[in-house]
Amino acid sequence: MSDIVVYFAKKIITMDINRPEATHVAVRDGEVLAVGDACCADQWGPVTHDDSLKDAILMPGFIEAHAHMMAGAMWEYAYAGFHDRIDPNGKLWPGLKDNDAVIGGLSDYAEGLEDGAPLVGWGFDPIFLSSERLDKKHLDQISTTKPIAIIYSNFHLMCVNSVALEMAGFDQTTNAEGVIKGPDGQPTGELQEMAAMFPVMRRLNIDFRGLSQKETSIRAYADVSRRAGVTTVTDLYSEMEEEDVATMLRVTGEESYPLRIVPALGATSGPKVIADKAEALAKRSTDKLRLGAVKLMTDGAIQGWTARIKSPGYVGGQPNGIWNTPPEVIFQLVEELNSRGIQMHIHVNGDEAAEVTLNAIEAALRKHPWMGHRHVLQHCQMMGRDLFTRAADMGVCCNIFANHIYYFGDQHVALTIGADRAERMDGARSAIDAGVNVAIHSDAPVTPMAPLFTAWCAVNRQTMSGRTLGKAQRITVHEALFAITLGAAYTLKLDREIGSIQTGKRADFTVLGEDPTAVDSLTLKDVPVLGTVFGGRVHLL
Amino acid sequence: MKPRLPLTVVSGYLGAGKTSLINRLLSEEHGLRLLVMVNDFGAINIDADLLAEAGEDTMTLTNGCVCCTMGADLYMAIGDVLDRDTRPDHLVIEASGIADPARIAQVAMAEPDLVYGGIATVVDGQTYASLVADPLIGAQIERQASVADLLLISKLTSPDPALTLRLGVQSRAAVVDLADGNALAPLLFGGVPRSIPTVNGRPHAPYVTWSSSNQILLDYDALLAKLKNRPEGLFRFKGFVADASDRGWEVHCVGPAVSVKPISQVQVTKVVGIGLEGQVTPAQIESWWLA
Repeated sequence: MSDIVVYFAKKIITMDINRPEATHVAVRDGEVLAVGDACCADQWGPVTHDDSLKDAILMPGFIEAHAHMMAGAMWEYAYAGFHDRIDPNGKLWPGLKDNDAVIGGLSDYAEGLEDGAPLVGWGFDPIFLSSERLDKKHLDQISTTKPIAIIYSNFHLMCVNSVALEMAGFDQTTNAEGVIKGPDGQPTGELQEMAAMFPVMRRLNIDFRGLSQKETSIRAYADVSRRAGVTTVTDLYSEMEEEDVATMLRVTGEESYPLRIVPALGATSGPKVIADKAEALAKRSTDKLRLGAVKLMTDGAIQGWTARIKSPGYVGGQPNGIWNTPPEVIFQLVEELNSRGIQMHIHVNGDEAAEVTLNAIEAALRKHPWMGHRHVLQHCQMMGRDLFTRAADMGVCCNIFANHIYYFGDQHVALTIGADRAERMDGARSAIDAGVNVAIHSDAPVTPMAPLFTAWCAVNRQTMSGRTLGKAQRITVHEALFAITLGAAYTLKLDREIGSIQTGKRADFTVLGEDPTAVDSLTLKDVPVLGTVFGGRVHLL
Repeated sequence: MKPRLPLTVVSGYLGAGKTSLINRLLSEEHGLRLLVMVNDFGAINIDADLLAEAGEDTMTLTNGCVCCTMGADLYMAIGDVLDRDTRPDHLVIEASGIADPARIAQVAMAEPDLVYGGIATVVDGQTYASLVADPLIGAQIERQASVADLLLISKLTSPDPALTLRLGVQSRAAVVDLADGNALAPLLFGGVPRSIPTVNGRPHAPYVTWSSSNQILLDYDALLAKLKNRPEGLFRFKGFVADASDRGWEVHCVGPAVSVKPISQVQVTKVVGIGLEGQVTPAQIESWWLA
């Protein structure tokens, strides 16, 4: 058999303007050798033709430029959310639309658990439920012998049953703010914020730290990614302890592991310590584990009223949000990391956070000019044309949280920033028009990883209620597909290797059942993902 | 059963003097095995004479105190300490310069294995007024002081009445100037330090102590009612209180905070109090408790 394989597909969308469409792609040693028709690689010697993808559409492997490895590991627990979701093994978890559905769904799940094993659920979101508030009475209907904890989708709340309350010692004498009590003075089962959830988590062995670091999590991440057609994924806040790096190098190093991971080291220490650590990590990069970038936090989240936003603030009169890194430290970190040639991914939800961060980058670049730094603002939810223009001026990329429009758009109109600012949220049109290099993302597990869904959000800007939120900010299907391929690759400095199907690039493809450029754009999210090709290896679902 | 672990949170904005305070506490002769959790002890300069050994993420001092880094997940680190075979006598968490210390301290109210030991916020006497006026960061810094049980003023060479007034309006916390050279451990950790055998022996001690042991029996509601009326200036109050039924109570009060957790049978009611000198006398505490 020849070491050159020529894949035939119904259509190959290359994202390369020189040859936007093709029918054949030749692969050798994991690399694209030629793109064109059946003869495209004949100059290179004998080839093997592979027609197994002849009914499929190929695109460059999708790139999820903002997600977290927990997206795979959460599936160790029972899904209890409102929307249908598919787990890494392909099992459909139907959305639970009210408390009775939650009780019924979890009762079935509980029967499969070993005696005494805790039942832990995740993804529950009462915002979408019209039934009465979930409490211990509901969960006691599932079990009065097993401890039960249902973690809410925002990870700030949970609801537990009576057994779990007892294990944690919560009763009428508990005097902690987050342990919610009913009119009878007894805990209701609802626990708010980590301090109140911790006693239960500790006793039920719920370990978020372990969720991102175990071998099974790294494998589940690949499964989640493959189902979404993703061949390169980020892990945008990683602690990168020595043990984790060793495990990640080992697992991703396996030939059959079908995913490239780009972790960003969380900036939890002083500027110099982080810069040193990032430099040391960069030296250990492999093809499938790209190390060396750093993630900075700045503000909180708009839907939690913790994002730092500019005047006139929140519509309900809530106080401005909080800084998770003080502005003066943002300046110090940005200056040091920029001076050391380290690329940064910087979380900015509110417009004030974006502005302070751009100020910090501008100050750093005046001291240490760096063409091609490609620092990336992440989320960028409230940036207007002015801020996008500043980003473009400085070569700062913007990775926009398009999924937010669907999942939280209605809440933003009603509760956080009001209709006029919500209509220009996640403004991909303004960003592209201002000349910014744009990517779009899911922030999985906050919303499900599915780049075509993310593209659909940016193209249609529909909310859960069906409202079109800000027509003016819609982008074209082609622009959206660019943002989940070459645009995303650019933000990771990987556009030389991935992002388009082009001679000399990695043979990473997404295998689709329909042509996303031919379907009605309102159905873009429904285009089926059949699997991926990673480095020339086919991984169908 | 392992003893409950008291937790004190040290907060304050960047540069306020949290690390200096922790170094001072580590070198006082309090006789307690402290465990100090910091974000990054690269920034803490511990006197080489105090240091017994240093590992990658822990440092052990000659007096048995330990410093460790907490990594990104504070709560997991607290869990690790509670799971140790031998718990320290007191856990001190140095919050980050931006953290809301109340959010951290709440874990001691919720977790049965922890005891609320209070929030001590260090306030830079020279910069506080201008920092709280900062439109970006002011509100967060102000909150660190508002939620404190103990405010420690650093970097002042002479008292600043305007600052004292401002903090008094803003917070119910006791205010202590760090320039006073008194031992701080009793205020932050409770208990009576070995190096100070009697209160009367130290005319400049900023506190008075009182203790009581008798056959008082109180049920939960009666105990809470009594604690609600505790005298002003009784900064710390802790001990075991017997109930007529088969359980008793472990009580900890720090500043305005009250924590009562059930324990198995208590034979004798034993409590101690630490008050701020000039604000309360042992006789006043005694008459309140026996009333």
